[in-house]
Amino acid sequence: MSLNKFNYWLILIALIPLGTSAQYESPSDSILTENLDEVVVTATRTLRQLSSLPLPVTLISQKQLQQTGVTRLNEILNEQTGIIMTPDATIGGGEGVQIQGIASDYVMVLIDGVPILGRSSGNLDLSRLAVGNIKQIEIVKGPSSSLFGSEALGGVINIITENPSSKQINGQISHRSATFNNQNTAVSLNQKAGKVGYSFFADRLSTDGYDLTPTETESQTVNPFYNYTFNGRVIYDMSDQLQLFASGRYFFQEFDIAPSTSEETDFNAHLRLDHNPSEKVNLQYELYYTNYTTNEKAIDPIDDTLLIENDFDQQLFRPEIRFNYAFSDTNTFTLGAGYNFENLDRSLFTNSVSFESQYVFSQYDFIPLKNLNVIVGARFDNQSEYNSQLSPKFSARYDISPTLAIKGSVGSGFKAPDFRQLYLDFTNAAGGGYSVFGKNVEQQALQRLEDNGQIANLQINNASQLGEALDAESSVGYNLGLAYKKGKLSAEINAFHNDFTNLIDTQILATKTNGQNVFGYINRESVFTQGLEVDLKYKPLTNLSINAGYQLLFAYDKNKRDAVADGEVFARDNTTLQTIALSSSDYFGLENRSRHTLNARVFYDIPEWGTNANIRVTYRSRFGLTDRNGNDLLDEFDDSFVEGYALVNLAFGKTFFEHYQLQLGANNILDFQGQNPLASQDNELLINPGAQFFARLNIQF
Amino acid sequence: MKYLFKPLLIIFSFVALTSCSDDDEGPRLEEVESSTASNIPAPQTGGQGQGEISGEFTKFSFATGTVTTSDTEWDLAFRGTTIAINGGAATGTNDEPTRNGNGGVSIQTGTFASITSADGLTYTQDADGAYAIPAGSDNGWYNYNFMTNVVSPIPGKIFVIRTHDGKFAKVEFLSYYRDAPANITPDIANNDLRYYTFSYVYNPNEGETDLTAPE
Repeated sequence: MSLNKFNYWLILIALIPLGTSAQYESPSDSILTENLDEVVVTATRTLRQLSSLPLPVTLISQKQLQQTGVTRLNEILNEQTGIIMTPDATIGGGEGVQIQGIASDYVMVLIDGVPILGRSSGNLDLSRLAVGNIKQIEIVKGPSSSLFGSEALGGVINIITENPSSKQINGQISHRSATFNNQNTAVSLNQKAGKVGYSFFADRLSTDGYDLTPTETESQTVNPFYNYTFNGRVIYDMSDQLQLFASGRYFFQEFDIAPSTSEETDFNAHLRLDHNPSEKVNLQYELYYTNYTTNEKAIDPIDDTLLIENDFDQQLFRPEIRFNYAFSDTNTFTLGAGYNFENLDRSLFTNSVSFESQYVFSQYDFIPLKNLNVIVGARFDNQSEYNSQLSPKFSARYDISPTLAIKGSVGSGFKAPDFRQLYLDFTNAAGGGYSVFGKNVEQQALQRLEDNGQIANLQINNASQLGEALDAESSVGYNLGLAYKKGKLSAEINAFHNDFTNLIDTQILATKTNGQNVFGYINRESVFTQGLEVDLKYKPLTNLSINAGYQLLFAYDKNKRDAVADGEVFARDNTTLQTIALSSSDYFGLENRSRHTLNARVFYDIPEWGTNANIRVTYRSRFGLTDRNGNDLLDEFDDSFVEGYALVNLAFGKTFFEHYQLQLGANNILDFQGQNPLASQDNELLINPGAQFFARLNIQF
Repeated sequence: MKYLFKPLLIIFSFVALTSCSDDDEGPRLEEVESSTASNIPAPQTGGQGQGEISGEFTKFSFATGTVTTSDTEWDLAFRGTTIAINGGAATGTNDEPTRNGNGGVSIQTGTFASITSADGLTYTQDADGAYAIPAGSDNGWYNYNFMTNVVSPIPGKIFVIRTHDGKFAKVEFLSYYRDAPANITPDIANNDLRYYTFSYVYNPNEGETDLTAPE
């Protein structure tokens, strides 16, 4: 393929308003071939052909979502190479996505390019996101703060929802029933009539939940819940040059834990105006507002007294302007700027807190030499509450031959200190009276305790550190890989190294007269993750696709690794109570990381019968959950390892009478349940609730 | 008074030792004691939502190898995760024992066997607002894992103790739970806590710093 030709194509695409991008959504696209039409926006914030990018990008198509029968984002991510959904170490917690060994806290999740709020202890619950109206999911691995700012260290997951394209009213209604009385109903409607297009999507999910501790009868691991998702949008072609996009989304979830209550809402409103005053110029004006709330009340079932009330109300408002200029067929210049207004009102804070930040980013995507594509970009984030950040990124791809390309990138990522790390002012009256203070309030808060005579002594050596601004957590990510594509086979191999510094940890600031401690936050930890990803796609027949992926991963805390190497770290064998000096090979590395993960997927289509079938296998090798012998790191003497396991999923679909699709499937069909090492002696604690069977009927009209 | 008393004691014990010696090869030393103290209870009231932490400390004497109620002949005292030493000043916490000895602690890193002498170390005493064995997780003798709700002694932390009467011992904490179970289940973590088990080697000879466990 000629790059020049490609770039011409690219510029053309970039300049065409979004409404016409529907031409790449032809439903007959195969997900499994490296389609020339596969285009992504997340890597560069311009439309770009997937197969020509210098960055590691994973694309999940609508067809893959449909054929696998998944309903939520977390389920499909787990089947992609180098992406794992990891359980929280404490049973009953949520799942977090891990990319290149980087935890969920450092992975940005977007819908149509705008961020989703609502993290709980850093983790974003991806099962909140219904996949029913999704066109495709794009995952860019490695840091992308040069385009997206805070949180884009491990990668960016961007959910692209579907735009209306059909002239006739086009709709679907479907219902899916699965094990655990899991009921999911979805309705969608869309039409593009002349200049106006609209779409509507509604989804309801309810379940009886499940129990990973079957021998203990008091409570369930996942309580019964129900949730609704509503999404509506309008697109309006105002003129050849102007297009308006407006979208609103609302999510509501409630857990059935009577008499206590737990509610969650997520609302967002997204307005965008695309303006193309000339062939070379594209301007986008965007307004985004989002509000995430939780409301939890723990009520004593016996006397109805309120035990704990925990409310959380986070808002973000963001105007952003983007400007793309095509100097020529082969180079595009991007400039963007925006303003974040954020607000959080939370039970654990004294006051509601707000902060503002401004940012500007720029990128130049060009072809300096034949067969060489280079993208350079940088973003500057100015913050009122912590040190400003400059995030550059450089990536390049060189086509060695028509079948083989080498690609590499170096980029930086950062994660702003969160509200908790800046503003928490919390004394745990119910937990012994310890206190935790955010960096921006620690000085005043300590003074307050001092004035009340509650401080016994300061524990930090240098009191002038108090109140010094907290730095953002930051990373530098390196990716270097080869992409091979010939005939029925395509293969990618990518080596990665992510170096994290300034990770925020807690430290003891002072001891209180009641014997408890005062904790504050400090930048001190540094970790790295490195490894290798291999992705193979083979299509021996038109209707048969075979995919396989592998990730090798090493993830360590640097200071701890050095301490182990220096012989300063010991372990205790919990049975003999003997102390052993650890050697480097005993240090397992970061929690919840598997050295090896594998996936294999086979998709088969028989179009003349309207039938498709697929089988997908994922495997992750042994991993550890937590330190259990007091040395604050995961070592071979910790009895907290989960043995490697595989999950096998399959689905079968058939179309009847043109408009009816029936799907049957099973997730974890081998009924793997596992054994959690943190179990108590007389209680069984499982890793997985076991096999889940489902059936879905979809009616198109 | 203190200064006068101490040399007198040394002279006295020297005389006592030599006087019961049968041979002429100098003073015979008492054998170094190696033992494990198990299930030393360290109850506390308050804390964890029940108001301010208070309650008597449980006092331990190396000379007897047992818990003691003596107000003077004690070396370490335990309440919850807090450990007081009989030396220095009051820290200011509720119900703490009066320190009337000259105890101190030096925190070393290594296996229990690798610490063989108390000589040449710097000893810290309790002080206003600060324990010689610092309070708090990952700070003194233990790590608290909030995920499992378990207090684990930090492996490799060896506490060389100068007793209230100036003798030496080394201590390695092994468990904070009754009968030092290998697997601390949530049930144990909630109900069987505040029982110390620790290994120690005590050299009962005045001025002797050797802490090698006897064969």
